[in-house]
Amino acid sequence: MRLFRAWITLVWLSFRRLFWSLNTFMVLFPLAGAALFIVRWRRWLDDMPAMDAFSRFSEVFVVQVFTLFLLPICALAYATSSIGGDREDRTLLFLLVRPIPRWLILLAKWAATLPIVLTMVIGSFYLYCHLAGHAGGDGAFRLYLAPIFLMTVAYVSLFHLFAVMFRHATITALVYALFMEALLGNMPGVIKRVAISFYGRSIMYRHVGDRFLEEPAVFESLPAATSAWALVAITVGGLLLGTLIFSRREYRDLA
Amino acid sequence: MELTFEQVTKFYGPVIGVNDVSFRIGPGITSLFGANGAGKSTLMKLASGQLRPTMGKVRIGPNSAWSYRAKRDIGYCPDINSFYEEMSGREFVYTMTRLYGYSRREAKQRAEQALAEVNMTERADRRIAGYSHGMRQRIKIAQAMVNDPPIYLLDEPLTGIDPGGRREIHDLLRRLAARGKTVLVSTHLLAEVEDLADSILMMARGRVLASGTLAEIRSRLADEPLTVGLSGSQPRRLASLLVAMDSVTSVDVRDDVLTVRVHQPAKFFPELNALVVEEGLELTRLETLDAGADAVFAYLEPRGS
Repeated sequence: MRLFRAWITLVWLSFRRLFWSLNTFMVLFPLAGAALFIVRWRRWLDDMPAMDAFSRFSEVFVVQVFTLFLLPICALAYATSSIGGDREDRTLLFLLVRPIPRWLILLAKWAATLPIVLTMVIGSFYLYCHLAGHAGGDGAFRLYLAPIFLMTVAYVSLFHLFAVMFRHATITALVYALFMEALLGNMPGVIKRVAISFYGRSIMYRHVGDRFLEEPAVFESLPAATSAWALVAITVGGLLLGTLIFSRREYRDLA
Repeated sequence: MELTFEQVTKFYGPVIGVNDVSFRIGPGITSLFGANGAGKSTLMKLASGQLRPTMGKVRIGPNSAWSYRAKRDIGYCPDINSFYEEMSGREFVYTMTRLYGYSRREAKQRAEQALAEVNMTERADRRIAGYSHGMRQRIKIAQAMVNDPPIYLLDEPLTGIDPGGRREIHDLLRRLAARGKTVLVSTHLLAEVEDLADSILMMARGRVLASGTLAEIRSRLADEPLTVGLSGSQPRRLASLLVAMDSVTSVDVRDDVLTVRVHQPAKFFPELNALVVEEGLELTRLETLDAGADAVFAYLEPRGS
């Protein structure tokens, strides 16, 4: 019971510190910028037939802007600093000398980060879909919710792993998001499978179908179910590996 | 409860931080003394379970110091100056207490008690970011006390505290020792060692040079050179007799006080006794001048190399 109470305290402490951090303001900038972009873009979308507008919104905004840029940026801003922030300002030491197993400390950080990132990502996506008018709406939101949810959880786990492994995890995660996800994720062949977004987009292409969202010829998506399991595996694997490394690792840079 | 190091060695890559260290400390105040870079902080981090030994074992009671169970039995005051700066001192200590799993009410009681012990009750509602160095030190000590642990590990806790505050912290540590707590205090200030500690661990270059009370350590150095102060009825005659002794290196006479440098203390004292009896001399003062911590450390420090 005492261990559970200590864990809940740590989750709440981490949640508060993350939410009221500079990261929230940093993340709100690109999210607000994207909202303004959609408001301006809507004039053209409204002039198109509903199906064409939906396809255009999906291909340009959902796949290229939201999935490849906004979502990973949002996840990395919080996930790398949940442990990384404590590590950089050396307050992690106060957690490591409390009677809480290390794997539970990382799990608490993950549990504190996930609701914030999910709220930011899904909340903003809901807003964008409704700002886009007939190009988005509830239909687009419901259609893309599952892959976006799975990708968000996978990114949060992966970036926690980065935070456990690397001292400057934000930079590493940024390089990963921009290089691996945006660049390699669009390469022909199997190399794109290193990117989380590949599996998310595979679900989108397979789930929505060619009629509304045309899959590029070189993309070679995987079946939706396989992709969903791949994202679950990345989530669980990243978290397990993170807890394993965190449980054994000495952080000599704390003092 | 005891803190035990069993043949502990810690490497940082190719650099050795702590070298084959073994000791066991129990209730009372033990001062971990050494110059900067001697290995004190590494030893503290090993004891608080932040580092794992490359070789050997570190135990808090029956548990490995690395295990989370051992952390229930320690209160650790780090030498870093980092906090959750946005919190007040009270909020910080309360949060640290809650991380032990205490209920809100119990955590509040314990936090208030700890704040009172370090004399911060009145000032605890201010944000930590606005605290002086001394107040930050007190908050760090308070957060180490909240679980009333049997073992306290305090890494340079008196740094930056004014003389009045120092006295208060000394009194606090003595109270803890009187309650049967094991208190390990690291310091690089010799005055603190003599003033505060019941026993000493002297470190240099990653090794423990000596452990025990200052008197015990000094007695183990019977063959080390020693300076003795003597006063008596016939100082000049006594000086001439002492110079003739094999165990004496030199004798200075100033204001009828003799300062005798002895290179074989074990031989000198019996010879001095015999001399005083045979010659009918009267000694009014006999004092070992370099039995203090600084002199002991000066003798021992080269041995660590």
